[in-house]
Amino acid sequence: MEDDTKTRFAEKHQDLQQELDKLKSQEEELFKEMQSFITQKSHVDAKIKTLGKIVPTLKNLKLEAQTLVNTIHDIAESSETISNKVRNLDRARSRVEECQQRVGDLIDLELCSQGVQTAILNEDYEKGAGHVHRFLSMDQSLLQRTATDVENISSVLKAVRTLQDAASQLRTIVQHKFDEAVKMEDLGSVERFFKIFPLLGMHDEGITKFCNYLCGKLEETAQKNLHTALNTSLSDKRYNVIYADTLTLLFEGLARIIDIHQPLVETYYGPGRLLSAVSLLQKECDKQVKRIIIEFNKHRQVNKKINQITEIGKMSNSSSFSKIEKFDPKEVDILIQEITIMHVRVELYIKFIRRKVLGDIEISTAVAEERIKSIAALDKLINSSDLSRSKHELLSHYLQLEQYFMEESVSKAVSMDTPDNSQHTSSMVDDTFFIIRKCIRRAISSGSLDGICAIINNACGVLENDFCAILRGRLRQGYPSGYLDLTQAYNVLQTSIQQGRLQPGDTEQIRTAFIIALNNADASTEYVETLCDSVLYDVQQAIPNMNTNERGKLESCLSGLSSVITNLRDVIEYGMQQLRASAIKPRISPWVDSFLNINHQLSEDELSEYEAGESFVQTLIMNLDSLLSSFKESLTSSNYDGLVKMLTTEVTARLEKVILKSTFNRLGGLVLDKEVRALASYLTTTTTWSVRDKFARVTQIATILNLERVSEISDYYGNEGSLTWRLSPPEIRTIMGLRSDFKSDDVRRLKL
Amino acid sequence: MEDFKFLFKVVLVGNAGVGKTCLVRRFTQGLFPPGQGATIGVDFMIKTVEVDNEKVKLQIWDTAGQERFRSITQSYYRSAHALILVYDISCQPTFDCLPDWLREIEEYASSKVLRVLVGNKIDREDREIPTVVGEDFAARHNMYFLETSAKEAENVERLFMKIAEDLMQQARSKDLPRYDSNTTNISGRTSAVSDNSCCSKLA
Repeated sequence: MEDDTKTRFAEKHQDLQQELDKLKSQEEELFKEMQSFITQKSHVDAKIKTLGKIVPTLKNLKLEAQTLVNTIHDIAESSETISNKVRNLDRARSRVEECQQRVGDLIDLELCSQGVQTAILNEDYEKGAGHVHRFLSMDQSLLQRTATDVENISSVLKAVRTLQDAASQLRTIVQHKFDEAVKMEDLGSVERFFKIFPLLGMHDEGITKFCNYLCGKLEETAQKNLHTALNTSLSDKRYNVIYADTLTLLFEGLARIIDIHQPLVETYYGPGRLLSAVSLLQKECDKQVKRIIIEFNKHRQVNKKINQITEIGKMSNSSSFSKIEKFDPKEVDILIQEITIMHVRVELYIKFIRRKVLGDIEISTAVAEERIKSIAALDKLINSSDLSRSKHELLSHYLQLEQYFMEESVSKAVSMDTPDNSQHTSSMVDDTFFIIRKCIRRAISSGSLDGICAIINNACGVLENDFCAILRGRLRQGYPSGYLDLTQAYNVLQTSIQQGRLQPGDTEQIRTAFIIALNNADASTEYVETLCDSVLYDVQQAIPNMNTNERGKLESCLSGLSSVITNLRDVIEYGMQQLRASAIKPRISPWVDSFLNINHQLSEDELSEYEAGESFVQTLIMNLDSLLSSFKESLTSSNYDGLVKMLTTEVTARLEKVILKSTFNRLGGLVLDKEVRALASYLTTTTTWSVRDKFARVTQIATILNLERVSEISDYYGNEGSLTWRLSPPEIRTIMGLRSDFKSDDVRRLKL
Repeated sequence: MEDFKFLFKVVLVGNAGVGKTCLVRRFTQGLFPPGQGATIGVDFMIKTVEVDNEKVKLQIWDTAGQERFRSITQSYYRSAHALILVYDISCQPTFDCLPDWLREIEEYASSKVLRVLVGNKIDREDREIPTVVGEDFAARHNMYFLETSAKEAENVERLFMKIAEDLMQQARSKDLPRYDSNTTNISGRTSAVSDNSCCSKLA
């Protein structure tokens, strides 16, 4: 019970204490605040004093402001009265003008109604139409109202009726005359009446009639051109592109019509009429293009070839023996050429139409919404035209044929592969890249970005799937070991390839084929790079105004092409591994292993004897040199570098292994250090890059074994910036243990 | 240069008028363009998304459905990481063509490509293909399946995000062990090609 009270008391006490502390801190805070108030007081006082001084000034200011407001108010009122007067004046003036206009209209009405009949009688239709035009430009309802205002109503109404009659009379006459002129092929009269239509408010009729007339003309010429084309003899030098020529003639004719008549339409009908004219002409254009393409497809047997290609594709996919005879890619070469020309002509004509109509829309419509509507109508006209459809079909045919051409030509280049004596490569590299470049260039000349991208994608497929696979396949054969003489092998290979097939089992030939495949892969990486650069440049020249989206498309496809390089590097790496397993490792191991047969605990005498004779490293360098020199001539420089790199890795790894199996004394260590240096400096001379890095471990091992005393390691180890050690402390201890004259206790006691 | 670790190519295919362009527009621009005209050739859009705190760039190729563009669109199959095959749930013929599309995919695309079947336009009342029929078809052909509405923005985000996640997982499981010792090389082949490397220099 007492305990309970105690604890409660203690708790209470604690609470109280806390409360007290809180109060204390509050007090302190309050005190601080008061302190700051006191310090601020003088400052606030000064402020109040200055404010007191300003008060009278402010009072003055208020008075002056009030006066200003009053003045402004007065001015506003008077200006209101003035503007009211001006408005009245303006209204009066506009009424006077309107009046004048009405009087003018009345006078003109009288004149026109008098003149129009005479004009019609005199067959002066321009004058008559001019009168009607003047009459039509008057506000008809206003005219009625004027008539009721004027005293002699009947004369005005009569004039109006006369003119209305004359208008309809003229309309019939002009239509009739126009049709007659068309029938008579009287170009002068056609144009004459064409100009009269708009005066009679018959804009649409005029355009339609005139365009129909032009279409007729166009059809006539197009028929004639197509007829000539069909009768072109095989020996004619334009025979191979005769359909492209016919198409070109058609477009040139159309473009000429548009160029000649656009100003005429614009002058007499006003701007903004081109779209309707072009859409009328487009119908005829579609008709004629279709005709040409039908003849083209028929005579060039396009569909037959496409079907053949599809069949061949199906056959090779189902991997059964092809029953269909493949045809020579050269056969389609000329056809492809013609299709690209046809395609680019269509492309150019469509661009021409777009440019013309857009220009017309630009000057005729000021309202943005209207303009967007007109442009949409133009796009619809172009996209839904047979012309566009034909263009897409041409492109589709082109792509299928080009794909066949590319694949077949490359496979032909591979089958006709011959080593190139002056280079390290064989003909398939040059030939393949020549073909691919040709195809891409041809795609560029078609003017279609989608076509270019598709061909780049296809080229990528051919390179990755076919070309790289063939190189890899040749490397898979491996590099048979044994001694070799490459120059001799070269000649053998050349003749055997020319005769047909490689004889399996002929190691010399397999070796040469292997080396060439390796070099081909290396040379191809450069070709791909150049190809990417030049394609980008060429496309930018051919299609100068690509938007960001189009550019992105192209660049993405090109990045696919440049990733072929990664594939090629893999092929090279694969070849190097093959080479390492069969030619490098088995040769190097015994050479390096002979290190184990040598005594590394030398006396002074033994040392001088060893140095006088042929040392280990001299023999090794001699062997390596003869091994490398057998490859030096036959490998490309970067492949040779790769070989040296791989060989260096092998030698140093093997050397490290045998060193760890030997024991050394001071002089033995000295010799090793010298020999390692000699080896490193020899390998450095064989290549363009530094082998030092690959030698780092072995060099450090030699340094340790060449120490005077155990403690000397501290000169190399531990102090900052002395050496980047590739060996771990346990490894260092193990290596020191190889020195027979180092006490193992000393080594163990080392602080590393 | 943009900082993204992965770049994947996604190609949309399917009959004309099933809504491929609308799906892409909805995903990349967040809008549904009414009265969309037929796509000509191929269109190309890019969107960067984030998966597991990693930036993933999706390069989306929207192909024309019309037959006459087939030879253009086919050329994009080979390098695609994912193929989205779209049909219109309110139009039986677009579903009936799926086997033809699959045959084309078999022929031209890589065997490892991620294949997704999408039934679009679920906002429409006049459904002709029940969900289960689509599901069944997808299951039989080892495809991922989803029904979407580009108009109502339903499942569109999910579709592309799922693809990004799957591809990333695939890339990681495939490539990390191989390039473990040599991290600098990751961008070379794994599918993440950096933006500037397109024309000549690869890391």
